[in-house]
Amino acid sequence: MIQQAHIMLNSKPAACRDGETVLQVAQREGVFIPTLCHDPRLKPAGACRTCLVEVEGQRRLLPACATPAAAGMVVKTDNDRVKRHVKGLLALYLADHPKDRASETGAPDQLLDLAERFGAPTDWPAMPNVRAARPGDANPYVHFQPEKCIACARCTRYCAEVESVHAITLANRGSLTTIFTADGRGLMDTTCELCGGCIDTCPTGAMTEKKPFLTKAKPERQLEKVRTTCNYCGVGCQMDLNVDHSANEGRGKVVKVTSPPPGTTTNDGNLCVKGRFAYDFLEHRDRLTMPLVRGDDGKFHETTWEAALQAAARGLLKIKTEHGSDALGFISSSRCTMEENYLVQKLSRSIFKTNNVHQCAAT
Amino acid sequence: MAGLVTTFGAGAMTNSIGEIRDADFLFVTGSNTTEAHPIIAMEMKRAVSRGAKLVVCDPRSIWLTEIAHRHLKLQPGTDVWLLNAMAHVIVVEDLVDKDFIAQHTENYEAMKAAVLKYPPEEAEKITGVPAEDIRATAREYAATKKAGIYYTLGITEHTHGTDNVYCLANLVLMTGHLGQPNAGLNPLRGQNNVQGANDAGATPVFFPGYQRAADEEVVAKYEKIWDTDLSRAPGLNLNEMMKVVGKKIKGLFIMGEDIVLSEPNACKLEQGLNGIEFLVLQDIFLNETARYAKVIFPATAFAEKDGTFTNSERRVQLVRKAVEPPGQARADWQILVDLGNACGAKWNYSKPAEIYDELARHVPRFAGISHARIEKEGGLQWPCPASDHPGTLFLHKGGVLRGKGLFEAVEYRPSSELADNEFPLILSTGRTLYHYNSATQTRRESGPHTKQPEAFVQIHPKDAERRGIADGELAEVYSRRGKVLCRAMVTREVRRGCVWMPFHFAEARANTLTTDAGDAVTGTAEYKVCAVEVRKASVPEPQPAD
Ligand code: FES
Repeated sequence: MIQQAHIMLNSKPAACRDGETVLQVAQREGVFIPTLCHDPRLKPAGACRTCLVEVEGQRRLLPACATPAAAGMVVKTDNDRVKRHVKGLLALYLADHPKDRASETGAPDQLLDLAERFGAPTDWPAMPNVRAARPGDANPYVHFQPEKCIACARCTRYCAEVESVHAITLANRGSLTTIFTADGRGLMDTTCELCGGCIDTCPTGAMTEKKPFLTKAKPERQLEKVRTTCNYCGVGCQMDLNVDHSANEGRGKVVKVTSPPPGTTTNDGNLCVKGRFAYDFLEHRDRLTMPLVRGDDGKFHETTWEAALQAAARGLLKIKTEHGSDALGFISSSRCTMEENYLVQKLSRSIFKTNNVHQCAAT
Repeated sequence: MAGLVTTFGAGAMTNSIGEIRDADFLFVTGSNTTEAHPIIAMEMKRAVSRGAKLVVCDPRSIWLTEIAHRHLKLQPGTDVWLLNAMAHVIVVEDLVDKDFIAQHTENYEAMKAAVLKYPPEEAEKITGVPAEDIRATAREYAATKKAGIYYTLGITEHTHGTDNVYCLANLVLMTGHLGQPNAGLNPLRGQNNVQGANDAGATPVFFPGYQRAADEEVVAKYEKIWDTDLSRAPGLNLNEMMKVVGKKIKGLFIMGEDIVLSEPNACKLEQGLNGIEFLVLQDIFLNETARYAKVIFPATAFAEKDGTFTNSERRVQLVRKAVEPPGQARADWQILVDLGNACGAKWNYSKPAEIYDELARHVPRFAGISHARIEKEGGLQWPCPASDHPGTLFLHKGGVLRGKGLFEAVEYRPSSELADNEFPLILSTGRTLYHYNSATQTRRESGPHTKQPEAFVQIHPKDAERRGIADGELAEVYSRRGKVLCRAMVTREVRRGCVWMPFHFAEARANTLTTDAGDAVTGTAEYKVCAVEVRKASVPEPQPAD
């Protein structure tokens, strides 16, 4: 029998598999290690230093996200030395970061969450945030708030490693480090495909959805997430509609769309421009809101459901009586649900007695 | 769809999307994946950066060709030649998987005899793809264990679409790339629920779950289930219906589709619609087809109702109501129940979960799936025959579902319309990243609209020069059936002699140009090949409206 490899994690044995990092082992074991620059979809960068742990025999603390778990390793994630490091580090990050929860207009700010959790001091002398923004960027979806950026480079790495378009990049050095495009162009003039992955991966909300930001919609924490399936292509991405139920006179409003955490659904936390942003049509003024029946004057008139259903039934049944069942055709839609498609073919076959039923886009 | 049911016994991706990242060889054909399926493209990019080999087969240079190891830039409509030539190489060089063929397939000899007539050197003359590239691709495909094929409408939207699918299936079967992870044959569905609509039986040839409508036992079974008598007369597919609208077809019920904008040869179709007696439409917007409707039901969008969509990898997932529909709009399933009852039915479904249960109960491969289970466990992939069955990641494990995989001997047939002196260019149509089908949703968005505000036609620099057309100028594209005005985009992305247009724009409807010739088996129309000519527009530049 092969002996399963182990590391000692906070004095308890924890199994480790080939190629796993200390962070991955800890996450599987349910041991919390704070992270900011880590995203399981990206190669470990080891850049933010939030995840440092103590490894026996190593003089310095090591980043759990970038350190391979080797059999026999003795790791401490929660001793005083590690805690002191995290507190100090978070306080440093906070020095040029908005500390007020009121600044949290979009996604939850994980830096503030961690600072709270670890009791990091917030009274260290504030420093001005000097990161450059891109004020002229006219793209409709992605808004960058430099004052919230911690330069963890998750967005730029996502853009390069997952989406492979390299539209955004880190620019400048030190406290001036910011997220930029070639020549500071607007995203629409770059290779950007507006997938919004930069927003999804950003831990602080520095990259945020432009529309809710500009319209001062409620922050994400106050919205209800409704898990559903995207209505565009056949990949079936899972996504969360973030709903403000009180908006639109109680009808509710989809304020924004977020993706489920990486590793939990087929789309692995990714969405494309359509899935993440194309939902305005829900509230478009052209939406049909009343049943319509064409009158003798050749025009459509609004009417009641009862009257419209009767008119439709009469018209279809008349064709069946006068020309026979096969003079009717039923077209359903691959945009509609499975249940609805089932009902259309049942309507066609069992009520109108014809097999003339097909969904549009049958391939 | 029908092609795969015939050869393998199930019309769906054989494998799962999550398996793409671990494949070692990807053959992507007739699929502009980054634009049509961005999330699957991300998986492909991931495989390539891991070291997988990518071969793209497409008449156009597309984003994926930039990271591909080889691009087979074939003449549109010559897929059968190319794929048969690949099979030829595999047979002649004895790269076949003999055990798999003996155990799991039938009709190999007939297929072999057919492909022997397609040597790569001849294929080069017809497809424009160098024989050496065909050879190399065939060898690599046959020699790599984790080798998957991915395709979409570029393969199926031809009069020989089913033949193309047969050819791909032949390659899979002869090399035994089936019934294992990271390989297989994978159609990527263009729309969210193409798979589910087919699964549900919204097709003339199948009852739910691909039970054949021509099979007396099946019809008798549903007569019992639905407690009524049913018609034995074969039904018309969409393409056939569209050709006889106003003639044989006097009445139409249409849910969620704009046939005037999306069906081919639109001018002829509209003539037909003029003669229709009664048309009921159920949609969320007043679309182009509404001009011919007598009754319109205001329906709901996905965020306003419950139900399921089934994705390309056979995964049944929940759609959940998040917000109320506007005004008096009603959920589509509710409207259908109301309409059914107004027509004499006694349906009393109170929620979509009950409809799903009725559907699944009578189809063994869905029987283990229910809304309640998906609610608890997340999406489930069919086949899932029992409520304790975990679902199926990849198909045909331990044997082909059909029993034996069926080889089909396929002969090349030219597309229904070829270039000639009068119409010397071949037009293909397709989708772009920023829009979706007839774009009734996406054109109401600011982002897609700013990035691609108007229709365009891609044309090769040589072809543009001969016609005196400069990049960005207005051009007229015309065929035997119609004409549209759009912006010329002069680019080497298309082959000489070929032009390409997106089909999203109502004011430049590419479907007025395309032919309504359909595939013999599925009726899918030939959107990928029709003959056109392009000329510089004689009308002045339109002034921007408000
Ligand atoms: S999370 Fe490990 S260094 Fe940032």
